[in-house]
Amino acid sequence: MAGALTLTTALLASACSGTGGGGESSQADADTITFMTQLFGTAPSPQGELHQAIEKFLGKKIKVTWVPNAEYQEKVNVTLASSNIPDVMVVDPKSPAFGKAAQAGAFWDLTDKIKKYPNLVGDEKVLLNSSINGKIYGPYRTRPLLRSAVMIRKDWLEKVGLEAPKTTDDLYEIAKAFTEKDPDGNGKKDTYGLIIPKWPGTTFAASSPFNVIDVWFGAPNNWGERDGKLVPEFDTPEFFEANRFMKKMIGEGLVNPDWNTLDTAKWNDPFVQGKGGIIIDVDVRTTQLLDLLKEQDPQNYGDKVLTVGNLSRPDGKKFSLPFSGYKDILAVSKQRVRTDAQLDELLKTLDKLASKEGQILLTNGIEGRNFKVENGEAVLINQDDPKVKQLQDDVDKAFIQLGTQASTGTAGIAYPRVPPEEPYRKDLAERKERVAEDLKTAVFDPSLPVVSPTAVEKGATLNPIVTDARIKYLAGQITEDQLKAEIKRWYDSGGTQIAQEINDLVSKLGQ
Amino acid sequence: MSVNQYRSVGSRIFDAINIAALVGLGLITLLPLLYVLAGSFASESEISSRTFFLWPEKFVTSTYEYIFATDVFIRALLTTIVVTLVGTVIQLALTLTMAYPLAKRYLPGRALVLNLVIFTVVFSGGIIPTYLVVRDLGLLNSYWALILPLAINPFYLIIVKSFFQELPEALEEAARIDGCTEMGVFWKIVLPLSKPIIATFSLFYAVGIWNDYMSPLLYIDDSSKWTLQVLVRQLTGADAQNALSAMETVFFPTQGLKFAVVVIATLPILCFYPFLQKHFVKGVLIGSVKE
Amino acid sequence: MATDLAPPPVKAARVDRRKPSRGRALWRYRWLYLLLIPGLAYFLVFKYVPMRGLQIAFQDFVPFLGYNGSQWVGFKHFEDLFTGPDFGRLMYNTLVLALLNIVFVFPAPIIVALMLNELRINILKRSVQSLIYIPHFLSWTIVASLTYILFSVDYGVLAGWIHEIVGGQKIDYVAQPEWFRPIIILQTLWKTTGWTTIIYLAALAGVNHELYEAARMDGAGRWRQLWHVTLPAIRPTIVVMAILMSGNLLDMSFEQIWLMTNNLNRATADVFDTFTYYVGINQGAFSYATAVGLFKGVAGVLLIFGSNWLAKRLGQRGLF
Repeated sequence: MAGALTLTTALLASACSGTGGGGESSQADADTITFMTQLFGTAPSPQGELHQAIEKFLGKKIKVTWVPNAEYQEKVNVTLASSNIPDVMVVDPKSPAFGKAAQAGAFWDLTDKIKKYPNLVGDEKVLLNSSINGKIYGPYRTRPLLRSAVMIRKDWLEKVGLEAPKTTDDLYEIAKAFTEKDPDGNGKKDTYGLIIPKWPGTTFAASSPFNVIDVWFGAPNNWGERDGKLVPEFDTPEFFEANRFMKKMIGEGLVNPDWNTLDTAKWNDPFVQGKGGIIIDVDVRTTQLLDLLKEQDPQNYGDKVLTVGNLSRPDGKKFSLPFSGYKDILAVSKQRVRTDAQLDELLKTLDKLASKEGQILLTNGIEGRNFKVENGEAVLINQDDPKVKQLQDDVDKAFIQLGTQASTGTAGIAYPRVPPEEPYRKDLAERKERVAEDLKTAVFDPSLPVVSPTAVEKGATLNPIVTDARIKYLAGQITEDQLKAEIKRWYDSGGTQIAQEINDLVSKLGQ
Repeated sequence: MSVNQYRSVGSRIFDAINIAALVGLGLITLLPLLYVLAGSFASESEISSRTFFLWPEKFVTSTYEYIFATDVFIRALLTTIVVTLVGTVIQLALTLTMAYPLAKRYLPGRALVLNLVIFTVVFSGGIIPTYLVVRDLGLLNSYWALILPLAINPFYLIIVKSFFQELPEALEEAARIDGCTEMGVFWKIVLPLSKPIIATFSLFYAVGIWNDYMSPLLYIDDSSKWTLQVLVRQLTGADAQNALSAMETVFFPTQGLKFAVVVIATLPILCFYPFLQKHFVKGVLIGSVKE
Repeated sequence: MATDLAPPPVKAARVDRRKPSRGRALWRYRWLYLLLIPGLAYFLVFKYVPMRGLQIAFQDFVPFLGYNGSQWVGFKHFEDLFTGPDFGRLMYNTLVLALLNIVFVFPAPIIVALMLNELRINILKRSVQSLIYIPHFLSWTIVASLTYILFSVDYGVLAGWIHEIVGGQKIDYVAQPEWFRPIIILQTLWKTTGWTTIIYLAALAGVNHELYEAARMDGAGRWRQLWHVTLPAIRPTIVVMAILMSGNLLDMSFEQIWLMTNNLNRATADVFDTFTYYVGINQGAFSYATAVGLFKGVAGVLLIFGSNWLAKRLGQRGLF
């Protein structure tokens, strides 16, 4: 009994001294860099070909803690508490856990330093988006800046004799024809136009199909300037215009009846089953749709999907919805990287990794082993060799997560990967043009770089107010006046303060 | 045993309804698993296009080929089996030894300890404080971290304790008079009488370790030591948090793959129960004890 | 340990066990205490040392700063919880679900165990026994997608049948707030009943056969045997399970509820556990979540000790 007690006391003592501050954590050693990032497949072995190649390229050892994507935030939290933070950690800069840790001095503020490392800067606008009120904590992982698109059953469109849509009115006509004109030709009225899933979370501006349509009608992307002041997306006449349009579609049965509950993971199903004909989402979904349709019909799958860009509103004016352009940043721990000299050394290495050669390693692999270059594009080779397959998996499901200037969904400075079949190639080529065209009319969200303290504090209560009210309005459960009353309730419960803070913070950034 | 009592009309009607209800119950629990099994052998477009099925139109094994293409799964499976076996033995040993004294109403200090235990049913320190303890004990990256922090489930402990209390005191007394020490009574009398409860909680503990994905995820950084459930979470992915990043189409595990992973992770542990069933035969020993 | 006491003969343990002096008791029951030590050490190390973490309910905890570095904020999080605009609704929703759990989920495994007990076709009994605990292994994600397969307004199999039989307007079971609770309870019943049944089956395995014989001698039919032999035999288990359940009454399965929540049914769906999750997304939930945990814990302690007291008043053994 006494023995057990002694053990416990010892534990208590050590547990007390062990937390926080990072007193006794190991210091960075100059030859090894430790990383922590998400993983989507099985973890690469440190003896693996790619791991070795990256170490050789950097001239340093690397040690990566691979964390399954689904539980990444949980692991980030315990790691922050453990005084065992790796040199470089992939984190969402806007997550409260990171924000507080950064404020407490866990990570280097790189605002003034990052410009010295040209490969780490990337696009200055996106870099600013990834900051906390202008403070930059690391290079961002690039994502396509514009990826919203409309995917339509091409075969159905031909069947009902309509053209590709240009305006929201066209979209309505197509959805109506898809619902009423028996596009699958089975003699039954068993199809609908638009497929919308249940959008997870309570945040209002979440790039849902509803947000896309708001912007098409001219509403702000999350926040926008009206009469010299920033106002939220839902406090504009255009927002109500857009929702009247959506309500009409839903009311007339042109949308899937389970639009409130359909799981986002099953979004493709009605499209593939031939129950619905239109999806408004990120353009890479086209690839998934092609994959699924190909399994069904290996010959004609290419004739079944038509992807178009953002649509104009009825008066012909066009507004497109862009994204933030990044996903997570690579933050540098102050716990292990202690001095300016160590920081400089580390950033130099990261800069090297962010060079074209480094990004190719991370996102394409090893040239001549798993891919070759043709016309500036990567073509996969030797995929039957199990070792090469392993290498390819290490790229696609693991190391690509460390890519900053090249990444998933956008080749960036590395080689774009060319899919072998024609329909995919065609989609990729069209996507490029489409994105370039839509970027001209992109409506950017000016509030991306800032974090409103009130929104953080009261978000759990405030966020669902308008998000739920809009859906209830669309479902016909509340009237437009009641929706307006809910918006007023949002303002009264703290929204006014959020608007004030957003305006102040954004104007401070501009100076 | 007399069977007359089962011959009456009311009794027969009851039996018929009872059998029908239980068979129905068995079916509604079996069908979804069969669907998952069928789905794991179906093509992706078939899963997308058929709502529910028990037999795939086209038999596809690509999901299983993908899973077993590397030795990662096999290694994780073996690791998990070993950790589960060792862990269950430790958990059972600790639970049974602690429950036995707590079942003795005359033991001074018993109420205090019981209060301490019950308190932990309701309050827990949380993930981070437990993590810090595991770290300070030097258990990070060790398989012990998957066993020791969960060594006793207070809920199970209390149930086992109350089972022990129901054992006939007379038998223990008799053994003591015959010169058995408390240890002897525990080992020779109490444990053999407790087979059903030991069987039950070895199953509960084993399944608990088997299904635990949070401990390996938090305590094991070295991915070569991961257990099966980490890989399962990894490949099924579609949990609550992950759904938020639906827009982030990076790697979408296919439905078929998710199903196959569920099958692989569930079947081995499902096979555990039938072996334990024989201990549930009515009145194994107790029937022979005279109170 | 006290070793200076003369060891009393073991057999003497039987006599006068009521009020031994402390040191003597320690020696007399040394084997029992010895058995207790490993378990006690476990509870101290892995349960009580981490409970220092409960202090963060009164802090603005930042993991990186640790317990000593984080700022003390007193009862701020409790104030936020109790005075927040959502508290009443969260409390109501949580309590209603808890009540439904007591009424429907708690008795289900007892009934199934008794039904299995009455089943005399052995092969059937064994098969059903091994089938009904399968759902325990399927994740809530799979349970949710099965629910949609049954109840979706678009393709739901069961919803379709009901519509054909009853007619009228199609009901969107999974979206409407009034159907949220029935569906949650159905899911819980399906997933947990078979698993908990095992505990009652183990209890039933301990029923003394001679008691049945005796009852039959007295001319008791099946119903009366069930009532006078079987039920009393498993009553202690039922009582213990009930008391333990009361301690965690306010805990809901976060993932289950989260997956079934949508914009239309939030009014009935939000409970403490899901709301805490949203607070976490917005502001990092450590302190707030711990405060909620403490609140639920205090309620749980009251419920456990209250129901234990009640059980004893009703002549049952209770937990201790």
